[in-house]
Amino acid sequence: MLELKNIKKYFNAGTVDQVELFDHFNFNVDRGDFISVIGSNGSGKTTLLNLICGSVAPDEGSIIFEGKNITSMNEYKRAEFIGRVYQDPQMGTCPELTITENMALADNKGKIYGLSPAVNKKRIEYYKELAAQCGMGLENRMNIKVGALSGGQRQALALVIAEMTDVKLLILDEHTAALDPKTSENVMKLTDKMVREKGITTLMVTHNLRFAIEYGTRLVMMDEGKCIMDLSGREKEKASIDDLLGKFYELGLEK
Amino acid sequence: MFEFLGALDVILQDGFMYAIIAMGYYVSYTILDFPDLTVEGTVLSGGVAFGLLVTAGVNPWIAMTAAFLVGFIFGAITGILHVKLKIRPLLCGILVSTALISVNLVTTVVGMGGNLAGDGALSTIDVGRSVPTLIRTFPATLLPTDFFGINPRKIISFFVIALIFKLILDVYLKTKNGLLLRAAGNNPQFVTMLAKNEGRSKILGLAIGNGYAAVSGALIAQSRGNINQGMGIGMIVIGLASLIIGLSVFGRLRFMKPTTMVILGSIIYQACLGFATFMGVPSAYNKIIMAILFTLALVLSAKLKTKRGKINA
Repeated sequence: MLELKNIKKYFNAGTVDQVELFDHFNFNVDRGDFISVIGSNGSGKTTLLNLICGSVAPDEGSIIFEGKNITSMNEYKRAEFIGRVYQDPQMGTCPELTITENMALADNKGKIYGLSPAVNKKRIEYYKELAAQCGMGLENRMNIKVGALSGGQRQALALVIAEMTDVKLLILDEHTAALDPKTSENVMKLTDKMVREKGITTLMVTHNLRFAIEYGTRLVMMDEGKCIMDLSGREKEKASIDDLLGKFYELGLEK
Repeated sequence: MFEFLGALDVILQDGFMYAIIAMGYYVSYTILDFPDLTVEGTVLSGGVAFGLLVTAGVNPWIAMTAAFLVGFIFGAITGILHVKLKIRPLLCGILVSTALISVNLVTTVVGMGGNLAGDGALSTIDVGRSVPTLIRTFPATLLPTDFFGINPRKIISFFVIALIFKLILDVYLKTKNGLLLRAAGNNPQFVTMLAKNEGRSKILGLAIGNGYAAVSGALIAQSRGNINQGMGIGMIVIGLASLIIGLSVFGRLRFMKPTTMVILGSIIYQACLGFATFMGVPSAYNKIIMAILFTLALVLSAKLKTKRGKINA
């Protein structure tokens, strides 16, 4: 479904601080995969997501989505089929708009944003049902500004909104990292439920090793711009947190 | 008593007429967080477009719409400089308003039938008594010319025009396109996620802001009876001060639309200026008073914000 081929990516190109992050990097995502990506800081996880979403362009190589070369496609055009939830709960919603207004905007994705009324009253019940999925009572607070919600509520809402738009690939960029342990657990459960129900292909970067083990169908560990571990099926089921910690420790010794 | 009514008439007239600039700033400054300096040029452009058209015999309502379009286009240029060429907001405004000094002058002189080599005399357009402006044509002519010693045509016309532009903005901001514009100012990344180019919303917002400024220019021309090349000076301060006063004084009132707050803010601002004149301050001090009032408005709004923050926390 998604293929990154021979990607090269430098930072600070042409200066003495030039850093080569990816060199002939290849990565494949199959339809229906739910991939957890782990790795230490600077291993290239976020850059991988940025390359896929188009917020960063590769220096060499190509990115193919469903047979189409999207390497030079704008970020906003890719958003037609790629959804993204960020670590920062502020990013996925508009704080000054109400829950209904945020959802109405997302509901219109892919259509023209013309001069008809933004909120279609007939859709409000549907928005309430979606908000109810979060299990946080948001369905009773549809007309308050999203800025008044807590980080966890905003993140759950961001997730619902990202999925509302019928994207083919969902990118989760450490989306539980800024939340307290209990909220983080709830948001992760909600994520899993929604991904399973919709069967949406998902790529999740996380620092939470337990989430990486417990959820998803494939586990990738990155280090210095390479995939150094790629488990799926039985291998993934057998993997434990201790295995992952061991691997991290090994990497630390090598450096 | 008549003196007081006369002063009130002037304050309200000016309040409504400048409120339209302030409503434009509500879009560019409050919603998009873009401190737009283009306004100084576009207020005059609107006045020039309006003045040339009405003196040529065009219906003043059509001339006012044309003024809006002129401001809309120049505002869009500022937006394009910012979005496509990545020039900083303040510089975009300075660039376009500087260019507009020439554009406005050339348009005026050529439009008046002068030649650019030496017709300094033709840099002013007269829209005085003999010119059929909004306040001298239908439907304003349905009103009497004398009401307790004042002529109500101007104030009522300006009120109705401010109201029309307020309602248009209120309705627009509730449409899909308007909501997308608000989202672009609030969280550009969200617009990107909706697979829309947030830059386009920004360009549109600046175009609307300057379209409003130009309409205000058309009203200022009618209020003063002429259009001279210095007309735009000080308009940024008037517009922003009215906006900030309105939003900080009435910001807590949930039932009130921001556009209503802005109109009231504009009236308060003009009342302060009127009070200074009433106290006998010579008009040469006007711009100093404007700057001081603006400073006070900024300080007041910052104070109110921290106070409100504490209450909420």
